[in-house]
Amino acid sequence: MIIKTEKLTRQFGSFTAVDAISFSVSEGEIFGFLGANGAGKTTAMKMLCGLLLPTSGTASVAGFDVYTQSEKIKLNIGYMSQKFSLFTDLTVWENIEFYAGIYKMKPKRIKVHGAKLLQELELEQQKRRLIGTLPLGIRQKLAFSIAIIHEPRVVFLDEPTGGVDPITRRRFWEMIYDASARGITVFVTTHYMDEAEYCDRVSMMVDGSIMGLDSPARLKAQFDSKTMYDVFLKLARKAV
Amino acid sequence: MINSITARGISKSYAEQAALHKIDFAVQPSEIFGFIGADGAGKTTLFKILTTLLKTDTGTAEVCGYDLEQDFLAIRRIIGYMPGSFSLYGDLTVEENLKFFAQVFDSTLESNFELIRDIYILLEPFKKRRATDLSGGMKQKLALCCALIHRPQALFLDEPTTGVDPVSRQEFWQNLKAVSHQGITTLVSTPYMDEALQCDRVALIQSGKILQIDTPANIISSFPKALIILKTSGNKNLLINSLKEIPLAESVFSFGETIHITCEPADKPELISKIKQNQQNISFVDNPQPDIEDCFLYYMQRENG
Amino acid sequence: MKHFKIFVWKEFLHIWRDKKTLMIIILLPIIEVLLFGFVLTSEINNVSLGIKDLDNSLWSKNLILKFHNSEYFQVRMLHSAPEVENALQSNSIKAVLEIKPDAERKMRAGESGIIQLLLDASDPNIARTIEVYVNNIMASSLPRAQPAQSYLSIIPLMYYNQELKSVFKSVPGLMAVVLMLICAMMTSVSLAREKETGSMNVLLISPLKPWHIVIGKMIPYMAISIVNILMITALSYFVFGVPIRGSLLLFFFFSILYVISALSFGLLISTIVQTQQIAMMISLAGLMLPTTLLSGLIYPIRNMPGWLQRFSGIFPARWFVEILSHIMLKDSPVSYYLQPAGIILLITLILLVIATKRFKLRYD
Repeated sequence: MIIKTEKLTRQFGSFTAVDAISFSVSEGEIFGFLGANGAGKTTAMKMLCGLLLPTSGTASVAGFDVYTQSEKIKLNIGYMSQKFSLFTDLTVWENIEFYAGIYKMKPKRIKVHGAKLLQELELEQQKRRLIGTLPLGIRQKLAFSIAIIHEPRVVFLDEPTGGVDPITRRRFWEMIYDASARGITVFVTTHYMDEAEYCDRVSMMVDGSIMGLDSPARLKAQFDSKTMYDVFLKLARKAV
Repeated sequence: MINSITARGISKSYAEQAALHKIDFAVQPSEIFGFIGADGAGKTTLFKILTTLLKTDTGTAEVCGYDLEQDFLAIRRIIGYMPGSFSLYGDLTVEENLKFFAQVFDSTLESNFELIRDIYILLEPFKKRRATDLSGGMKQKLALCCALIHRPQALFLDEPTTGVDPVSRQEFWQNLKAVSHQGITTLVSTPYMDEALQCDRVALIQSGKILQIDTPANIISSFPKALIILKTSGNKNLLINSLKEIPLAESVFSFGETIHITCEPADKPELISKIKQNQQNISFVDNPQPDIEDCFLYYMQRENG
Repeated sequence: MKHFKIFVWKEFLHIWRDKKTLMIIILLPIIEVLLFGFVLTSEINNVSLGIKDLDNSLWSKNLILKFHNSEYFQVRMLHSAPEVENALQSNSIKAVLEIKPDAERKMRAGESGIIQLLLDASDPNIARTIEVYVNNIMASSLPRAQPAQSYLSIIPLMYYNQELKSVFKSVPGLMAVVLMLICAMMTSVSLAREKETGSMNVLLISPLKPWHIVIGKMIPYMAISIVNILMITALSYFVFGVPIRGSLLLFFFFSILYVISALSFGLLISTIVQTQQIAMMISLAGLMLPTTLLSGLIYPIRNMPGWLQRFSGIFPARWFVEILSHIMLKDSPVSYYLQPAGIILLITLILLVIATKRFKLRYD
């Protein structure tokens, strides 16, 4: 198990943002982490990335403990979010060098992996262009590739496809599948319910607890729904 | 019928990059008119132009009978605007935000209360809470209240549902419909294709150009291609890749748990039999119907050549 | 008017809610005044003072006795010029009071310059303090008709710091810097925030007039500035004994004029920038630094190269310091500082015109 949590809890004052969640994710799995705004997804993700200490419970990511080995966790994961991913005032190549450098990649390896990445995205010509001048779709794909340039064991994607056009969105998911096929575990949040269908397993978080956790097909059967959208509505409504 | 909002040939470029290219459309009174498109399609630029904040390079528009250039101050008095990002004052409470926007727009919470009652009731328990501490859905409801508080004739909502979860989005659209029933023309933009169905009419927009304008039903019924929808119990990604190899298939896209394949209507039987020959573990969905996203993908691909 | 009121109300709420910033802008002036005050003040006690009595009258003897009895001075009688020079050079005394021959008679005749004070000005603060104390002690032995200074000619012996700068003189400069910081930076940052979050767009399409927004942003900071002015004045008066010799009313009037000029700078900055961060940087680097350096707070303007002196003229701080020195330290007639006041007014008007022109109702 690449991610494993046991009664993971986080409180802010008297407010319990994450309430004793337990789940595990296996190597190479695409794990969808769904929930309404304010359900506790971001808090849970922060704990798993080693950015926030839990109040109680246990969790390990890539074999490292979130309490004591957060620095090791950080070296073994990748992270990308819709809100911030690349520096718009740096060029494509500078962003690659920067992120690869953060993960302590050797210059030689950066050169090889960076070139390969640009080739796959057909961005060789744009190597010296500022990120800010690239269309959003290309930026998001590039951000994902850079987030996994150091071959992390797990990559966390926080609403990676928000606001992206439908074609790019599908390309993006093809990239996620490729990464998963290479053994990288993908932990992803999204507000697009069709994307929930693309995940191997989906967890539904409501008010800090996980209320459903299974493959999309089984979740739909369990909640007697035709689509993941309906599953989401049924679960989230319960909370209100 | 007099149009509430008419735009003719609006173009706008930033630093030589075209943001909008010859935009034409007309919105009727009390209609909910949606601009559906990805980030960077030009929706925000268009909304800034229509709310008179940004000048056009070329083209004109009329908003509720006023000319965009000559009467821009008159337009400002009769519109409501909710910019993309949550732009209320986070350090002010719900109550204070409402009070501020009401008075700034020469109104009071009471005078147009029936317009916002349904939304306000949901907000009332949190009225002493600072806006920044509200959940995404509540923030958005507050922003809508503030934009409506002076009973504008036209309401411009720029991506009100972006980053908001499906439940809050659905509630928001219910609120919006109630508002339009009270005679307020509503322009709304969204990157979520499925929200097109909530609008009376929509414009599909991509790279600064309008791809199509019509009612969602008409857009779907005029989908010119034949559609095949299938499911697989095997590896979906591999299946998609092999389907793309078939020359008759014009597009192959993943749609949730299904795969959508388009082709010329005449080729459909042949394509189906070819798929059946080559693939196992698949089942065809009976009577496949395209949705807005199929249409958007089609027009987008046509635009890109 | 209702629009305007509600806008000002909102601005006060913003400031009130942001307690950290509020604390900073209220405490900053206090800390600065205390810092400057204590760095620049040197209490004197038992300073060795040489006295050379060439009058030898009853009156001069009486005067010397007073110095003897003072807790501030330790008097050493000197008798010849070489003795004086020796004592000063060996650093064994800080000042020499020379009572000129026939001093008593000349004093009664109303002549001035009957006593000479030689001061070691290498430590200007001590020198300045000695001067004040000497003056005070002398005053009781002199006719009331004229201030003690007029009988005294002071000769600073080391031209290290001609202005004998002290906490007295730094209060106006300090006030100029603190008010510029708070007014210009806070207004520009606060307007930039509206732009950054997008709320400016909503305000623009509202019936609010641009002047509502602009003046509405200024008023709360003006209020805070007045609090700051009061605090700085009270602190410097009660803790360091800095007087306000002139009219308190004029003092406040010109302080507020300066505050308005600082607010106009903030306004102009906000029309140029798009983000709070850049507003802050321009306020700090583009305004604060020149204000500190060119207001005369640290270096006397008189000692600057000519072109820099002229350049310092575009910063209201320079003129404000001049006005305040007149009012606080000299009680000069208004006509003495009408010109600097006019310059501040002119700068303010120019800034406001440019800022209003640049304040965009619509973007291109």
